[in-house]
Amino acid sequence: MTLGVVDTDVDVLSVSDRDRILEAMASCCSQSGYEETTVEAVLSRAGVSPESFEAHFADKEDCALAALNKMVSETLARISMAQPRSAEVSERRKFEVQAILELMAAQPGFARLGFIEARQGGTTRMHDSYESAARVLALMMQRAGHMAEKHGARAALGGAEAVLRRELAAGRAAQLPGLLPDFVYAALVPFVGQREALRQAKEAVKLAAEEG
Amino acid sequence: MDSQQRDRMLQAMMEELADRGYSEASVERARSVAGVSETDFAAEFADKDECLFAAYDQLTDQVVARASAECDRGEPWPERVRTGLESLLRGMAEQPGMAMALTRAFPGIRPSAYERYVELLSRFVPFMIEGREYSEVDEELPGEVELLAVGAAEAIIFGEVDAGRAERLPKMLPEILFSVLVPFMGPERAAEEMRTASMSI
Repeated sequence: MTLGVVDTDVDVLSVSDRDRILEAMASCCSQSGYEETTVEAVLSRAGVSPESFEAHFADKEDCALAALNKMVSETLARISMAQPRSAEVSERRKFEVQAILELMAAQPGFARLGFIEARQGGTTRMHDSYESAARVLALMMQRAGHMAEKHGARAALGGAEAVLRRELAAGRAAQLPGLLPDFVYAALVPFVGQREALRQAKEAVKLAAEEG
Repeated sequence: MDSQQRDRMLQAMMEELADRGYSEASVERARSVAGVSETDFAAEFADKDECLFAAYDQLTDQVVARASAECDRGEPWPERVRTGLESLLRGMAEQPGMAMALTRAFPGIRPSAYERYVELLSRFVPFMIEGREYSEVDEELPGEVELLAVGAAEAIIFGEVDAGRAERLPKMLPEILFSVLVPFMGPERAAEEMRTASMSI
């Protein structure tokens, strides 16, 4: 190496090593479940050395938690970036749901880790991480919808999650963005009624078509 | 192994899972509870997993049967939904360990076990289809509306079971009922059904 950029390259490489490991952790979990995933399998999928793993993570759980955190923060970032100028709550909800579905479609391994493994498999700490993310999402919906009833938001999210999990479990993450109208309907109907929720769902069909 | 023995074995195996979790669940203990010999077990099941999967299938059959058993076909759909939910919630409150095994301990084992859970939810979908007739709009409701309704109930139930509060579920019937009915009937009429349900508790 005579180019004089070696020092900066080391950092860049180590950041992408970490990302590769997180990606590999997510894919291994979606294939075999967290319980049966081994650090060795993650390393061989990521193509990185055990030393590199140790430099970033204490153990398998630490790595899975980091992968979850990455997914949660990326989801929240997408949601906040998805806000258009429009002041209508139901308008905003549509863009938020679309942002989430596109992220899940692009990263099925992470989606499965977050929505299935952390909820019903994994360790207590992974589960806590799912719980707090779900609480944040429900609170966001509640505040935006000006609704006092906390179970309304949880149920609206839950309905969408059941469809999401069925698709993820069947390996159909790529088709998730096509379900935007159904999810928009579910997210809105308890708050604005059937007519308006259906109208917004139809608008969402157009939105999905424009983007697609 | 006769069918009664087999049922006892499956029940005991599910209880092991509920009490101790997957890795600690022991076939030997379950066998001794059920009074099944090692030879008889081996003739019926290849291993612990095969027994557990059969036990889960039996449990989910019971859950689905329980939800539909007390429904009177002559009653309007929203009332049948209420009756079904009511007996489901009562069952989970009576057996919180089984409720935990049903929703978390088993589905968390590995992806193939999780698929059984997805399948369980989808078995409630046919009971929901009739709800479309109660819509206040003429247009067709979204294709996934049945599973959206089932998933709404599941989210609340899962949250309570998981937090160790399964015994509270029967009291939560009104809000769970609202969540199931709202995609089909809209918030006003679902809220009416919810009020009727809270009076009956």
